[in-house]
Amino acid sequence: MTKTYNEINEKIKNGDVVVVTAEQMINIVEDQGIKVAAEEIDVVTTGTFGPMCSSGAFLNFGHADPPIKFEHLWLNDVQAYHGNAAVDCYIGCTRLSDVKRFKYGGGHVIEDLVAGKPIRLRGNSYTTDCYPLAEIDTEFTLDEINQAILLNPRNAYQRYVCAVNSSDRTLYTHLGKLLPHFGNAHYAGAGCLSPLSNDPDYETIGIGTRIFLGGGIGYIIGEGTQHSPTNQFGTLFVKGDLKQMSPEYLRGVSYEQYGTSLFVGLGIPIPILNEGLAKKTAISDAELFTDIVDYGIPRRDRPKPRRINYEELKGEYIELNGKKVKCSSLSSFYHARKIAETLKEWIQDGKFYLNPPAETLPTDTVFKPMKQTTKIKFVKDLKRNAIICHDDCDLKTIAEKIIDQNLNHIIITDLENTLKGIVTSFDVTKAIARDKTDLNDIITKKVITTTDNEPIDVATRKMKLNNISALPVIDELNKVTGLITSEELI
Amino acid sequence: MTIINCMLPFGLVKDFDDYSKIVNDILKHDITFNILKFSTGSNGINLLIDIPEDKTKTITESLKQNNIVVNKKGRVIIDDEKCIDCGACISLCPTDALHLDKEERLKFYYEKCIGCLLCLSACPRFAIEEM
Repeated sequence: MTKTYNEINEKIKNGDVVVVTAEQMINIVEDQGIKVAAEEIDVVTTGTFGPMCSSGAFLNFGHADPPIKFEHLWLNDVQAYHGNAAVDCYIGCTRLSDVKRFKYGGGHVIEDLVAGKPIRLRGNSYTTDCYPLAEIDTEFTLDEINQAILLNPRNAYQRYVCAVNSSDRTLYTHLGKLLPHFGNAHYAGAGCLSPLSNDPDYETIGIGTRIFLGGGIGYIIGEGTQHSPTNQFGTLFVKGDLKQMSPEYLRGVSYEQYGTSLFVGLGIPIPILNEGLAKKTAISDAELFTDIVDYGIPRRDRPKPRRINYEELKGEYIELNGKKVKCSSLSSFYHARKIAETLKEWIQDGKFYLNPPAETLPTDTVFKPMKQTTKIKFVKDLKRNAIICHDDCDLKTIAEKIIDQNLNHIIITDLENTLKGIVTSFDVTKAIARDKTDLNDIITKKVITTTDNEPIDVATRKMKLNNISALPVIDELNKVTGLITSEELI
Repeated sequence: MTIINCMLPFGLVKDFDDYSKIVNDILKHDITFNILKFSTGSNGINLLIDIPEDKTKTITESLKQNNIVVNKKGRVIIDDEKCIDCGACISLCPTDALHLDKEERLKFYYEKCIGCLLCLSACPRFAIEEM
């Protein structure tokens, strides 16, 4: 059995097209088999609604009088990129407001714009003979500007990872707030409704494919950046007219201590041209796997404790290292379902026709890492010898070592060199001021540490976050192998 | 005697030693008390204790200083206009007061909330507010 785009569009025109969502397709194929499903179902709709950081919009304001050629410009205090002609700009969703910082960003500007709210435009220029205006401070709404084009270089990840945190502190990441010691887990992606997962070989998806985007009609204009089809991390480059879109499907979001982003609603119709597509669109959450990734290790290649399917991810608790870990999504399945249902209605009502792509997405591109021309430095490259006192020593010994070695930090260990604590010159001063004589009164026992193979930037961030100036370097047995201080980092 | 419910949610634990704080803090007050229920789970530690009425205030206050949540109920409200049903708050909730219903929409169970406020900053839409 095969069908063509023309046959399906003819059915849409006649009002007898059969459309189901990818979630409904699972049961249809299970009950009636692939052959019958392929004959009866014409289109399967998909949907996803989640944070998509590679999103933004091109805007054109028209010319001022006298004209201005922007050098820098801000929309509601969020800087937009200007490197095009006089009054074009690109507002990216992760750019933070200069004023509200983490609470408002480019994603919120886009949501407010689509909601019809007035946006404040401030800009300046170095001025030219043809563009003499030096500064502008004005306001506009979506209706009052020329073009407003949502242009997202990377959307609709085929699947996404599930993040956990093995470290001993809470982490604030692009996958939300991750509690220490595997305290929780976050994942993203719509699972069985995920657009690219329903056509994983991109038979029907490519340049020119008409899609649901932000509540309006949009188009795929190519593979997204970092498109990595061989490991099921395909992505899409999409565009659409903001003027047709709805703030319900474009929502600005702020992740604590991470930054802002934009929730984008996106849905793709998949024409059931053959039995293969009927089978692929019947994929269930249980058949879609992703990796659990440990964000406790701040490196590009993070440990992956295990594989997991979307069925388990959606079950509120996942199993990890024999422990039940509470798990939740960062993307909304409720809205993903609503998008698939809306797209289904559009097709049934004859408002949306399907088209073959001019070119399908590549299936063999590789996502390469960044080329770095300078070698990254590790703690082992910069550490110095630690000055050690044993935990039975008196304060005078510590004070003498501080003076002799001209160092502010003395590491306290037991006789086997196991880390027991740290004492600073300030602690010793405090002891004298308050008449303390026992090491136990001044020692800091909960010490923030580093290891030989930690990149210098990770150690630096630990010092900054904890407002301290030195970290003992320890090995896996908690034995002290050195010390790194802020002086080495300068 | 008064029964109080102490909870040390996992997200507020900086160190595993913190778990001993609940009992140590109560012991400081030199009193006899009954432990009615002691439970640990992946969400934290929970203790139901029966303490003398006249000591309730001092004990409660010293527990609170160590991030221990005492006897609190329903201290947050969800703004449905701002909520996008993503679920980012759910994994942070130590008592299942926040979860998705059958339609995958966020539901808040006031009676289960202990007011730890861990969910507040986890919401990317600022839809959760302290009451």
